[in-house]
Amino acid sequence: MGALEPPVFNTFGLPHHVVFSWVVMAVLIGAALALPRRPALIPTGLQNAMEAAVEFILSLIDDVIGPDGRRFLPLIATLGLYIFASNLLGLVPGFSAPTDNVNTTASFAIVVFFAYHWIGIRKHGLWPYLKHFAGPMPALAPLMIPIELISHLARPLSLTLRLFGNMLGGHILLSIVFFMTVGLSTWALSGAAGLLGVIIGGVGTVATVVFTVGFLFPLKLLVAFLQAFIFCMLSMLYIAGALEVEHGHDHGHGAHGAEAAAHH
Amino acid sequence: MRIVLVILVVALGLTGEVASAQQAASAGALAGSWLGPFTVVAAGIGMALAAGLCGLGQGRAIAAALEGMARQPGAAARIQTAMIIGLALIESLAIYTLVIAIILLFANPFK
Repeated sequence: MGALEPPVFNTFGLPHHVVFSWVVMAVLIGAALALPRRPALIPTGLQNAMEAAVEFILSLIDDVIGPDGRRFLPLIATLGLYIFASNLLGLVPGFSAPTDNVNTTASFAIVVFFAYHWIGIRKHGLWPYLKHFAGPMPALAPLMIPIELISHLARPLSLTLRLFGNMLGGHILLSIVFFMTVGLSTWALSGAAGLLGVIIGGVGTVATVVFTVGFLFPLKLLVAFLQAFIFCMLSMLYIAGALEVEHGHDHGHGAHGAEAAAHH
Repeated sequence: MRIVLVILVVALGLTGEVASAQQAASAGALAGSWLGPFTVVAAGIGMALAAGLCGLGQGRAIAAALEGMARQPGAAARIQTAMIIGLALIESLAIYTLVIAIILLFANPFK
């Protein structure tokens, strides 16, 4: 995949996703440090944007986990902001997203996997938490345990591949459109296909550029936000599922219809 | 104590990330077998199937969501949120097929 490597920056022999994740870390830490030491009562500017983002994530947590899930805000918000910033970095020309490498997305998924099991074990105790894998009746245990095992192992796998596939697919699509446009337009506009080729080539180039900038780029922006949102949403659903194992699956807080999605 | 734990985890993570990035592609015993050209066809047909069926599934999801929103405009925001989540989950099935197709095209073990 040599054609898809970002050609601009020299990463000194380190893999691209490592170096660009440092860039994302620098941006996020810099934004956090740029906030005023004493927050103004009526926020403006950067503080306003950050408060809006945190309030959005808090409202999601209240909806999915319930008000006592607010102590998980650092984990969820860090994941959300970091994934969103990483996805956005891939849209800047010359950079590539750290999340279009499976190592990065797998590390997020492993963190979420251990986090929600740890949260469940810490709340219910090790043995009661493991006992819930056996299902509602002890007689069903030989059937339920493999099913639950497979579905729980499929969760980090699906989290990884969903984020990785979306980012890499968008990256490949943009690269192919770009190189195809450049190649075809230079061939057509150089007159190799005659005057008709020049006309069609010119119109086609303009049309492709307009299509890329006007449709593909906003679509990639939407996908960047959506994939970060979905990752956070699923993490919250897994945490909610781990928290309410003892009380059965009908414990309110708007997690009803979300339970079906949690067993994806 | 907590600080020590955090520093330990971060150090482990950094070394793990750099180490796992040195992936060497090696030609195994399957390289050059007769299966090579067919894997490219498999990637294309598989992706087409996945995209088509994913389109059907998402169409049904959006149709149901629109019908619900038309019946109860007051619940439109909650239905829209659930619709977006459902669409992303359905799309992830096609994304898994895309990952297999990318592996077959760029990191093919059979070529």
